[in-house]
Amino acid sequence: MSTSSAPRALRQSASSNDEVSIAPAALESSDLVLEVKDFSVDYGWGERAVRAVRNVDLDVHRSQVLGIAGESGSGKSTLVYAVTRLLRSPAVISGGDARLFLDADKNTGSDVRTVDLMRASERELRSIRWSQISIVLQSALNALNPVLRISAEFDEVLKTHRRDMNRHQRRARAVELLELVGLNEDRLARFPHELSGGQRQRIMIALALALDPQLVIMDEPTTALDVVTQREIISELRDLRARFGFAMVFITHDLALLVEIADEIAVMYAGTIVERAPAASLHDAPRHPYTLGLLNSSPPLHGKHHELVGIPGSPPDLAQSLVGCSFRARCPFALERCASETPPLVAIEDGGRMVACWLHDGSATNLPEALRREVSLSKRAAPQPRATKEVGS
Amino acid sequence: MRMLLRRLSLYVVTAWVAITANFILPRLMPGNPVETLIGQLQGRVSPQQVRAIQLAFGMGLKQNIVQQYFGYLGQLMHGHLGVSITLSAPVSSILRSAVPWTVGLIGVSTILSFLVGTIAGTMLGWTRGSRFDSLIPLTTFFQAVPYFFLGTVMLLIFGSNLHWFPVLGAYSSNLNPGWSWAFVFSLIRYGELPVLTIVLSSVAGWMLGMRNMMITMVAEDFVLMAVAKGLPRRKVIMHAARNAVLPSVANLSLAIGLVVSGALLVELVFNYPGVGNLLLQAVLNEDYPLIQGIFLVITMTVLAANLLADVMYFVLDPRTRTEAAV
Repeated sequence: MSTSSAPRALRQSASSNDEVSIAPAALESSDLVLEVKDFSVDYGWGERAVRAVRNVDLDVHRSQVLGIAGESGSGKSTLVYAVTRLLRSPAVISGGDARLFLDADKNTGSDVRTVDLMRASERELRSIRWSQISIVLQSALNALNPVLRISAEFDEVLKTHRRDMNRHQRRARAVELLELVGLNEDRLARFPHELSGGQRQRIMIALALALDPQLVIMDEPTTALDVVTQREIISELRDLRARFGFAMVFITHDLALLVEIADEIAVMYAGTIVERAPAASLHDAPRHPYTLGLLNSSPPLHGKHHELVGIPGSPPDLAQSLVGCSFRARCPFALERCASETPPLVAIEDGGRMVACWLHDGSATNLPEALRREVSLSKRAAPQPRATKEVGS
Repeated sequence: MRMLLRRLSLYVVTAWVAITANFILPRLMPGNPVETLIGQLQGRVSPQQVRAIQLAFGMGLKQNIVQQYFGYLGQLMHGHLGVSITLSAPVSSILRSAVPWTVGLIGVSTILSFLVGTIAGTMLGWTRGSRFDSLIPLTTFFQAVPYFFLGTVMLLIFGSNLHWFPVLGAYSSNLNPGWSWAFVFSLIRYGELPVLTIVLSSVAGWMLGMRNMMITMVAEDFVLMAVAKGLPRRKVIMHAARNAVLPSVANLSLAIGLVVSGALLVELVFNYPGVGNLLLQAVLNEDYPLIQGIFLVITMTVLAANLLADVMYFVLDPRTRTEAAV
């Protein structure tokens, strides 16, 4: 790898390779990469605007994998694309702040700095795009220009952001990146349609890492792949993250898959975050009824299969102004106050996790058993028990 | 490569069919075309002309049809297309003097129209919904007006009344054709109005085609990726345009095929000495060898342009190469 990744790689070397132990709770706020505050996105204007993202707070720490889960239309992709300023009309960012905290970058010679993403100029945005935030899309076939060879994709990115590199260096870097994702350099001469889905997605990942970004956004990177390839890519991503220490925002509707890779998971519903917790806690002991429903409706990657149960009903119409809890119509445990008061996202259980549900405000007398499960102590200590388990299996 | 060779062999077969049809058609006409022609010339015909007519149709040599056919093919191989009856000159040399005018006029107009339309369409597609969209009804209006009518009106207004452009002919009659600056300048001056007419009447097609493809392409993930990569706007547009232009390129090759048959009416309106004018004269005078020769040239250019379209597509879109790769 290039010298630029050395500091981040060093930071990682403190922990053993197979267990990346960065407890979210232990992270200082100065370790933030991305901070999103009170963020709202609408589609359209005025009365008929669809409020796709509503007052979301989100932060991503260095080297953290933050998973964002939710069903289609929950606003998870909209949120991330809006924050990175990639959304197009008619989407309107109707409020909120998003700031990117950047390390010193030896490649570009830039110092530690903060970028206000909502106020950044076009020029400033261009300079941080890909060099600091890169993105991997769901369908690599569509994300790669069909008439360009793979080498051209790498060349273009390096040419734009690394003016100091000559042709041979760019080529060498592309070969090096392909090796990282386990592909032979002869793939460089290929066109996208000549490669398999797994190879294309690996190329997208290699491309995303080309400039040593501090944040990589994965928008359902494995959804279009078969289960075996999915598993391979997830484990490769985990290794790459451990090696280079980039932070990741991993968007998917597949909660079971997310538990495999994420340190922390935020569950979105109807444009808001309803629960946020360390991955294992969220998986083993969900606190929000919607999280519980999501878990019951997807097969686990490990362990015993349970009977899959869907969540009855459908998400609310986001063009309407929502009063009360947006999930109450589908919630089996809905209380009276859910209809009139919107539950805030508050810290529960010693601040280790957050949930937006009236059942957990301390006043509920008969909390359903399913939302009361305990997380074992060992699991709570290590936020990534899955990673350890993985090595053994 | 194999695919290209296969296409090529297909074109050879098509060309052979076209040539054969060109040979057979006159022979299917009722009566003897040679006698019809001689009759039409009403005695004002020299023995050389009779001989020429007979040679053109492969007659008078006491050959059977098969021998005639191969004789005809042999003549073609050597570039002999027969002798024009009315102009008393070899068809090939007549064509040689007419084709450059048409290719120049229509070729330049076609390429200009393609370039202007494609660039305008790219920008319109990129800035969809902006005020530039009002260009569309304007250009489609010019497309809707028959181009010979548009040409006549332009000739009347800008040529006869305003004297902005010279009218009639391809160059000033005071000059002799040759590679002098004065002649080239005159050529351009005289070409402006017909070129403008053709460009105006055809630019909407290129523009709309490109705009619609651009709108589709702009929504593609790889364009989003280009933005996410932090590329300058120009390069982002190029990502989309490079893909959007593919159908236009295919259409351009086909349009080039029609360059020779050309805008017959434009040539008439502007009195341009090209193939269109020649064809009209040939038809009016029933100059069969000339008609035959012109048709042959037209057929061959259309075929060549089709081949060009195939090759261009092959070069520009790697996906068309898959068949050969797999």
